[in-house]
Amino acid sequence: MSDAAPAADQTARLQTRRLRLRRDGLGSRIGVALLLSLLCAAALIALAGHNPLEAFLAIVQGAVGSQHQIGASLNRTTPYLLSGAGVALCFRAGIINIGAEGQIAVGGAGAAAAALALAGAPSLVAIPLALVGGALAGSLWAGLAAAIHLGRGVHEVLVTLLLNFIALLLVQQLLAGPLGQPGAGFLQSSLMPRSAWLSHLAGFDVHAGILIAVVAAAALSFVLWWTRFGFALRVSGSSRLAAAYAGFSLARLTWGAMLTAGALAGLAGGIEVLGMHRRLIEGFSLGFGFKAVTVALLGAMEPLAVVPAALFVGLLESGSLAMQRQIGVPTALITVIEGLTMLFVLAATAARR
Amino acid sequence: MSMMLDMRGIVRRFGHVVANDAIDLDVAAGEIVGLLGENGSGKSTLMKVLFGMLPPDAGTISFRGQPLTGHTPAAAMAAGIAMIHQHFMLVDAMTVAENVMLGWRDAGRLLRRKEMADRIRDVSRRFGLDLDPDARVAALSLGRRQRVEILKAILRNAELLVLDEPTSNLASAEVAELLTVLRRLRQEGKGIIFISHKLPEVLEICDKVVVLRAGRVTGRTSVAGASQGMLAEMMIGRDVTAPRPPMVASSPGPARLSVKDFLAPGLARLSFEIRRGEIFGVAGVDGNGQIELVEALAGLRPAGSGAITIDGHDVTRASVAARLTRGLAYMPADRGTTALVKTMSVAENLMLRDSGRPPYGHGLLLTRGPANAKARALMADYDIRARDPSFIAGRLSGGNQQKIVVARELDRRPAVLIAHQAAWGLDPGATHFVLDRMLALREAGAAILYVSSELEEVLAISDRIAVMARGGFAGIVPRGEVDPRQLGIWMAGRAA
Repeated sequence: MSDAAPAADQTARLQTRRLRLRRDGLGSRIGVALLLSLLCAAALIALAGHNPLEAFLAIVQGAVGSQHQIGASLNRTTPYLLSGAGVALCFRAGIINIGAEGQIAVGGAGAAAAALALAGAPSLVAIPLALVGGALAGSLWAGLAAAIHLGRGVHEVLVTLLLNFIALLLVQQLLAGPLGQPGAGFLQSSLMPRSAWLSHLAGFDVHAGILIAVVAAAALSFVLWWTRFGFALRVSGSSRLAAAYAGFSLARLTWGAMLTAGALAGLAGGIEVLGMHRRLIEGFSLGFGFKAVTVALLGAMEPLAVVPAALFVGLLESGSLAMQRQIGVPTALITVIEGLTMLFVLAATAARR
Repeated sequence: MSMMLDMRGIVRRFGHVVANDAIDLDVAAGEIVGLLGENGSGKSTLMKVLFGMLPPDAGTISFRGQPLTGHTPAAAMAAGIAMIHQHFMLVDAMTVAENVMLGWRDAGRLLRRKEMADRIRDVSRRFGLDLDPDARVAALSLGRRQRVEILKAILRNAELLVLDEPTSNLASAEVAELLTVLRRLRQEGKGIIFISHKLPEVLEICDKVVVLRAGRVTGRTSVAGASQGMLAEMMIGRDVTAPRPPMVASSPGPARLSVKDFLAPGLARLSFEIRRGEIFGVAGVDGNGQIELVEALAGLRPAGSGAITIDGHDVTRASVAARLTRGLAYMPADRGTTALVKTMSVAENLMLRDSGRPPYGHGLLLTRGPANAKARALMADYDIRARDPSFIAGRLSGGNQQKIVVARELDRRPAVLIAHQAAWGLDPGATHFVLDRMLALREAGAAILYVSSELEEVLAISDRIAVMARGGFAGIVPRGEVDPRQLGIWMAGRAA
């Protein structure tokens, strides 16, 4: 065992890496869950009087059929990846944060406010600062939840959930007041200054958000596995008693995880505003933050595995629009598939004892 | 005498590990068979096979003349095999009678409380269980709760009872009562498998003994004529029951841990000092303030009033991390969720409390390469038998898990060590190992607080012995002046 230690170390490291992704075959279970939910979806499509194969083909074509469609899919993936990775980090630490939706909304408002204030600044200044503004706003919102949770002992599920609704109303209020476009007739802000628009890759309809999201997920994975903070998070997620015994401050860990997740969700909101709509619109987050929970679970709470999970949801949703156009299967069915996926994945992951 | 239970050639593998290698075990009616073995020797696996919780890879089981193959735990129970677990499966808020009826078909859909109470009283009298059917389980002592489990087994017509470490939670008077009950069961023709690490009890109660080591039967003997040394040798290949060489009287130095007028919830006012090179043993029945004391010292519970100093530095209100840097090591009694993270690897558990220090970490980052190398070295030094540092800690035997805790806490070269039930549930070999390490640490000049409900252990290694009762020390005596009768009075007289 002790001879050839470096080689053995290497194998050990590889094994741990593999273990992370498929602790007790978690990966394959999630795979089976996905397969089962697709089978159910096929049955539902058939019941609705359409050919499931045709429908799936339409989804695939709609998702990756052209450069434009690939770009649209990646854009759709971005908010899921950012907020899902943050939620995964919280879950790893045993903090059930379901407040991403509100953090996205507030983050969008923060980025919009910053971008409008920076009108006239060059892109190199305006874009980063506006995105930082979004991240800070998201952090602030998550920090509010952390403060109420830690300070008053209110369960984090309640606090994060309820703050979502307050956040959505807050953004509405902002759009009716200081951030609103006068005389627009809709609850929306003025168009962002052109210098704050996230540039699109030539030929593809994809903005830089996906790159930011992938880098963020990789960074989170690094934090989780290679830093002391990540180690402390993992310990406290497995056993709070052990974390206290190890000398980790639970309050500090909660702050760290919540502020990070809030920043990522806020960033997602900022990217939606600067990259997609170019203005702050009421209800611009289409439940991204709620589905982020599904995405985090689908990614087995591992930030890197959240990448394919977010991609799956992004492709599915983007492709389903094409399916509706081409063969008339309503996109609502995709929501059903997502719900089924969530149920199957939860059942598959809960089955391990 | 025909055999009640006949297990032949049981083989069970886990990957490359052969947990049971062609094991034969038989039990006759009216016979108590001791099943001995170190942690990880294959006892639990064998019992899981018997109960149908694990299918064997080879071998046959026959029970009262009927083959048992591919059976479920429910089928094993229906056939008349009952397991009394170390941790009782009772609902505290319910009465004895309700617990007996719980999940039992024959109790009927409509509960016949009176009839059940009568049957319980009847069985209780016959076997000397001394149980009141209307008593709430929460109000019962651990010994009585165990007898509720035995009662459940008897009422459900169990013919073979498997008792897993039945005495580990009991005070000595309760152990004697349990052994009396077991003798009654034997008279009535029940078969009993008695799993234990405690050799004196095994010799006292069993008719014959089967010893396992590394998945094989290494000894099979009638108890008549067997000695503790002989059994220990079969278990671990050497005799560890030989009396320890007398402890060299310590020449205690200055106080390293000092506790003055300390008061916290669950504790009476406490003042004591532990000096350099001294082991201060705390004996007493569990639940008399031990956990409150050690957790307050470790910084896991808020201090009420008073002062705790380590090497002259006040740590009364210091955080766990600050106490760690002052040199305070702590081995909690709760290994499952406090001392270890069972879902994490051996290496990660070894660095649990030191992740910010080399070789485990540097600044904010973990240094995995050096940490793995360090883990490998500690695994060798402390004889932690795991395949490699990435092995999941929860899959190791209890003894190996505790060795991780010992390695982590001692490798830091602590000034003060608080050890709570450090050898609890360990086999003689592992216990010996832990006690030896305590003595080595004492040699190295640390101050050690050794808290255990096993009086033998405390007496074996302590320079001074205190008896804890009702949150305070009923008395403190130096090693040379120990009077066992006095200790007993302190323990019993003021025990909760």
